[in-house]
Amino acid sequence: MSELHRFALEDGSDLTTLVAGLEQRPCFEREPDRTIERTVYDTFDWRLHAERTVLEHERVIGGRRPRKGDEPVVSWLVWRSIDTGEVLGRLAVDEVPTFAWDLPDAPTLDRLAPILEMRALLPLVTVQIERASLRLVDDEGKTEARVVIERARMQDSDELLAPVVEVVPVRGYPRAADRLTELLAVQVVLRPVESDVVDEALARAGFNPGDYSSKLKLRLDPAGHALDAVVAVLDALFATMLVNEAGTRADVDSEFLHDYRVAVRRTRSVLAMAKGVVPPPLLDELRREFKWLGDITTPTRDFDVYLLTYPQFEASLPESRRADLRPLRSFLVEHQRLAQTELVAALDSPRYATLVDHYRRWRADPRREPAATDPEVVPDVERPAVEFAAARTWSAYRSVVRDGRRITHESPAESLHDLRKDAKKLRYALECFGSLFPADEVGPLVKELKAVQDVLGEFQDCEVQKGSLRGFGGAMVAEGGADSAPALLAMGYLIEHIDERERVARDQFADRFASFDAHHNRARFRRLFGPSSDDQQEDHPHEKRDMKDDT
Amino acid sequence: MKVLATYNIKGGVGKTATAVNLAYLAAAEGARTLVWDLDPQGAASFYFRVKPKVKGGSEALITGRRTLDRAIKGTDYDNLDLIPADFSYRNMDLELGETRKRTRRIDVLLRPMAKDYDYVFLDCPPSISLVSENVFRAANALLVPLIPTTLSMRTFDQLDSFLADNPGRKKQQVLAFFSMVDRRKTLHRELVEQFGPGRSDVLDVQIPAASDIERMGVHRAPLPAFAPRSRSAAAYRELWVEIKARI
Repeated sequence: MSELHRFALEDGSDLTTLVAGLEQRPCFEREPDRTIERTVYDTFDWRLHAERTVLEHERVIGGRRPRKGDEPVVSWLVWRSIDTGEVLGRLAVDEVPTFAWDLPDAPTLDRLAPILEMRALLPLVTVQIERASLRLVDDEGKTEARVVIERARMQDSDELLAPVVEVVPVRGYPRAADRLTELLAVQVVLRPVESDVVDEALARAGFNPGDYSSKLKLRLDPAGHALDAVVAVLDALFATMLVNEAGTRADVDSEFLHDYRVAVRRTRSVLAMAKGVVPPPLLDELRREFKWLGDITTPTRDFDVYLLTYPQFEASLPESRRADLRPLRSFLVEHQRLAQTELVAALDSPRYATLVDHYRRWRADPRREPAATDPEVVPDVERPAVEFAAARTWSAYRSVVRDGRRITHESPAESLHDLRKDAKKLRYALECFGSLFPADEVGPLVKELKAVQDVLGEFQDCEVQKGSLRGFGGAMVAEGGADSAPALLAMGYLIEHIDERERVARDQFADRFASFDAHHNRARFRRLFGPSSDDQQEDHPHEKRDMKDDT
Repeated sequence: MKVLATYNIKGGVGKTATAVNLAYLAAAEGARTLVWDLDPQGAASFYFRVKPKVKGGSEALITGRRTLDRAIKGTDYDNLDLIPADFSYRNMDLELGETRKRTRRIDVLLRPMAKDYDYVFLDCPPSISLVSENVFRAANALLVPLIPTTLSMRTFDQLDSFLADNPGRKKQQVLAFFSMVDRRKTLHRELVEQFGPGRSDVLDVQIPAASDIERMGVHRAPLPAFAPRSRSAAAYRELWVEIKARI
């Protein structure tokens, strides 16, 4: 499909004259004018925009009574391509539900749902549009292209947006669209533009599509000091926490809290690496308080995960047993709600306010802290960032290798759990400080590590889920669910199923780890992060040296 | 992608109206829909006002000299595209005969469309030929309109036995439904009562014989587009609901 061509009307020009002029030409047919209310939707992390698409709820309004020949449905969720304007799918809905799973079942949904996943659809901006359109038709009356003229105003502020004239091509008739574009291009009142009404409305409402991603995008200065690098990473992580806090409190969807918690965990990991960079009393306080923040957000996340996994739980049961599991779902919904209330109370507490306040003041001027630059207290503070990051990453890497090599098929679950924690620390070190090293070298290492983490994560999830399901079962009985017996039986099935998943994960571990621990990866880790021959071990006694250089 | 073919050995039973109207309804629900007008008479193309002309003709499409997607024309409706008919389709049997895997050619040509379309409707010419064998291969379901007359029922039995005698074919569903039903005619009522109930390959919904369906040729548009509140449009909507539940 060819690109869309758009034009804006020069200031002070009259659109009516343009439309009337076109209408008089023999091959144009005016379509009925429409007044449309259009609300633009996307997820908080701009998933639809990232696919170069836009989702709009269009309602034909204006109090016009439906006439003969109208579509019976006048309220659509329209999904279209940003670049070509092509309609990718439409769903008849009166109201837009928050989640994809509440949209009507249709082929469009099969394509839309995997993009949206568990993220809420958020209404971003609403415009009211007066729309005129003309069809360019051939001698059979077939539409070969359209001119669509939209005059929009912001619903909230009543501000008028610049009118946009669009040539909408019809597939298979490229010449007609070209002819039409040429015809419009010579109109003195029009000038070509890129943006459409939606772009402009989003900009007016203060949105910058694509400006949020849960990925850490950071360019650290390799020549900077360790302290500056640490603070720069912590600043970025705190910014992520802040943008997700409102959504976390309001529980808009599960991923606000998820991204908030990832930022907290990364912060804790960076703080753990900041020994020798941040003076102990402050560092201890921050580590303690961020651990608390991790703890208070855990129960809600756990219930979120069980609710997100619930459809898979249900699907793993025989069809006849699925309905039996419903008491578990009610239990999870209720306890998620309770956990969320407690979470919000914790975020409203003076303890949280104090943490945020201290943390903010320290990062604004980290050298003002007592002993902040005293080499006796913080020997690494002035160390070049790249050297500091390499040493910490190397140390994290060696823990992973040491613990991973010890794991056999008989190792207890705890050893795999410990390795999972080591692997996370290494992952965070690579992600937070990776920008100090060549991206094409770090990327493949992250990928290999992720493969190990995935299998460890699956194993650990299975362990935790089994324990939790047993716990939930006990609680459901204690809370007096009269009809909980079939649910408990169904949960028994689930546990068996999870056992099987766990076995598979354990079987996969050896191969994944061997691949990670392959010679070329060891060489790359050593080249990027390993100590040089004259490494000053004595100067940095806190770096772990508890493993022989066997990598 | 689901491929649905409207088919009957007999002509004039409402195949094209069915393909055009169901495709319109699918597209109106937001599904990306393609109609391939395989009938050289080009009735579906006519209803969509698209000229029955394909560059290079049947030969170019069947040999792959011109890919199918280059022949696609957008209709006047969102999400609804058409591969028009061409008079050269009358020779399609011969061209198919010269290809390798001659009964699977249309299936192979349609495969790359899977990423672009949710539904493909094949509007087939009447008769049993290499084209129809290809259609049987490519389709997930054959939609067979039946006029409640003795001869029409006889051709349905012929189709049934033809499909049964073709062990190599892909397992597709046969979904027949009564079309052009005139409740004032005793024979129609009797045959519907006799033949319909209890057969899993005959759908419940019936399409009435109605002048508004005939008027599709005057409006040159799908029925639900120009008469959405008519009884016949409602029947097509019900038919589409029933078919979706079955495929």
